[in-house]
Amino acid sequence: MSEQLSTLLQDARIWQGHRQSRAHQPAEPTGYQTLDNQLGGLGWPRGALSECLLEHCGIGELHLVLPLMQRVAAQGRMVFWLNPPHTPYAPALAREGLDLDKVVVIHTDDPGDFLWTLENCLRSPVTGLVMAWPGRLASRDIRRLQLAAEAGDNVCVLFRERRFAEQNSPAALRLELVPGEHQDLKVNIVKRRGSWPGQRCTLAMHHRADLALEEAPRVVRGPWPNAAR
Amino acid sequence: MLWLYLHFPHLLLDHVRRSQKLDQALVIVDAVGQHVLQACPEARDLGIQPGMRLKTALGLSPELHLLQSDSRQEASLLEEQARWLYHYAAHISLSPPDGLWAEVSSLQRLYGGLSAVWQTVEQALNDRQLTAWAALGQTPRGARLLARAGKGECTADKGHLQRALESLPLTALELDATTHKRLQRLGLVRLGDVWALPPAELARRLSPELLASLQKIQGTRPDPLPAWQPPPRFRQRADFVQEVEHTQGLLFALQRILAELEDDLCWRQQDTDTLLLVLEHRHEENTRLRIRTTGPEHRADQFLKLIRLKLDQQPLRAPVTGLVLAVKRFTGREAPVSQDLLGDNQDLNEAWHTLISRLQARLGEQAMAQLSPQADHRPEFAWSASQVTQNPARHGIALDTLPRRPLWLLRKPTPLADTPVAWFGGPERISAGWWDGRRVHRDYYVARLPEGQLAWVFRDNQDAWYLHGWFG
Repeated sequence: MSEQLSTLLQDARIWQGHRQSRAHQPAEPTGYQTLDNQLGGLGWPRGALSECLLEHCGIGELHLVLPLMQRVAAQGRMVFWLNPPHTPYAPALAREGLDLDKVVVIHTDDPGDFLWTLENCLRSPVTGLVMAWPGRLASRDIRRLQLAAEAGDNVCVLFRERRFAEQNSPAALRLELVPGEHQDLKVNIVKRRGSWPGQRCTLAMHHRADLALEEAPRVVRGPWPNAAR
Repeated sequence: MLWLYLHFPHLLLDHVRRSQKLDQALVIVDAVGQHVLQACPEARDLGIQPGMRLKTALGLSPELHLLQSDSRQEASLLEEQARWLYHYAAHISLSPPDGLWAEVSSLQRLYGGLSAVWQTVEQALNDRQLTAWAALGQTPRGARLLARAGKGECTADKGHLQRALESLPLTALELDATTHKRLQRLGLVRLGDVWALPPAELARRLSPELLASLQKIQGTRPDPLPAWQPPPRFRQRADFVQEVEHTQGLLFALQRILAELEDDLCWRQQDTDTLLLVLEHRHEENTRLRIRTTGPEHRADQFLKLIRLKLDQQPLRAPVTGLVLAVKRFTGREAPVSQDLLGDNQDLNEAWHTLISRLQARLGEQAMAQLSPQADHRPEFAWSASQVTQNPARHGIALDTLPRRPLWLLRKPTPLADTPVAWFGGPERISAGWWDGRRVHRDYYVARLPEGQLAWVFRDNQDAWYLHGWFG
């Protein structure tokens, strides 16, 4: 009996308030050591939903997922982009060494199709990573997705607006992404399974536009004054 | 030589009844709509007999379902039967409108005896819910006579077959009325009586044609039959007497056809990736659906899943009176290539095809794309989207020569609304496209916008500022 109890206690889904347990859940390293440390040495949970909450595109949110994307594609599994807000730019992805044969972009028109597609992708063994931009989602739908994610063994990252950080969600990992001063990315952990949230870290993201680390912004004066519209 | 003859007494009736569960009795009427040709058991219970006038039949049961026979349809139905019989026998010949010959003497060794052949055919008939009267004969015509008389037996004994033929009444010969009457007046009632006459006298007194046909039955005159060859495509139809308004009704009929297709594909050792499904409506144009799988496929349940998805997406426009499933393109079946010892690859390959086919069936082929870089300096032409395939063509662009680009590209450049707070890289001048009329002349910069995003912006030659990408 006590043996069963102790295995139960080691399960990440049981919270033990007094200590941060070594969580036993399958996960994929994020590729950013700082963030992995904050996440208890784990990373993106497999077989569960992750959420990235952000205000605007272009703050380094894709670069946050890029190491995982590269690794998954190199393992020969598929990376699905579901309803991305802009065009994933193939030359840039190819330059990052991502195997584009493993990347499929899907656009769906109505929300029913979106959920259906996401569920199907999550349940398939060929899928390694699904990135989805759901827009508006009812909490019932998120629960449905969470169940679908549990059925598979892959990483699912939902990109949602930052205002949803206030609402609760069944996702296993929730990260709030805020741009920092030096083109870096501040990550606040809003929720994580098996431990207390609230950790923060800052990831350097200047390499995404080939900027030198300490490059002071050069103010280009010349073309500007009469052209700002 | 030993011949097997299959006589289908009510092929059209069987064909209709197996694709739909009817709540009323069904009869087949002749082309002019005067007489009942075939009646289903329920109709016969009501007292309706084949050969009865249609008016009488309707008097007996006003609710009767009627179907007019159509010689073209019967011919194609007979071909359908020949197609599956061809799986079992090599030499097949058609006997329109309702019979098939198969040469069986050469099959006995393959199947291990005549009774095994007989059972195989009977089993196949049962599986297809068909009624057929089978008979064996030393000559094709002998087999036909016995089958049509319902006297077929599983025996190759010459004497026995001979006696069975001799005891057939003259009516079984289906002679023209005058000849039949003359023979009757001579006091001949059985086939054996006619055979007993001296051939020379028979030809002189009656007609040489009669003698020829009798000799062909007997086997003393050659009677070669043309061998039927299966067409190189698959085509099966189902007809509905009661119009089908729900998808479920179609699936019932499709299940059988798809099982038949699977059989056929297995027998051909081929796969297919395109099915054509035509739904016929009474008053409207036919609905044509193309069902595509991403890879070669032969399993009925996979096809059925895709068709179900397709039909869910596309509700029926009008009630359906008939459907045709056709396959024209076949691909060779490849032996499973397992690249590792554990055979994991095969499963993944399979799963990939299943997933992509499902998505394509529901969302349409346009909804999914695979990306590749293109050799062009203009950012909007430096990438392309293509249909999803497992092994796309290589783009052949050296990756290390690609310039730094943002991960997000906007669908169209949008006018820059906010004043950037900081400027980084740039300018990078891109001037190209003078050769195809889509001229691009821009200076690109990397800029930081007030909300903290890194943007890829450009100024065109009219000094207007646009946003073209995000460094995501």
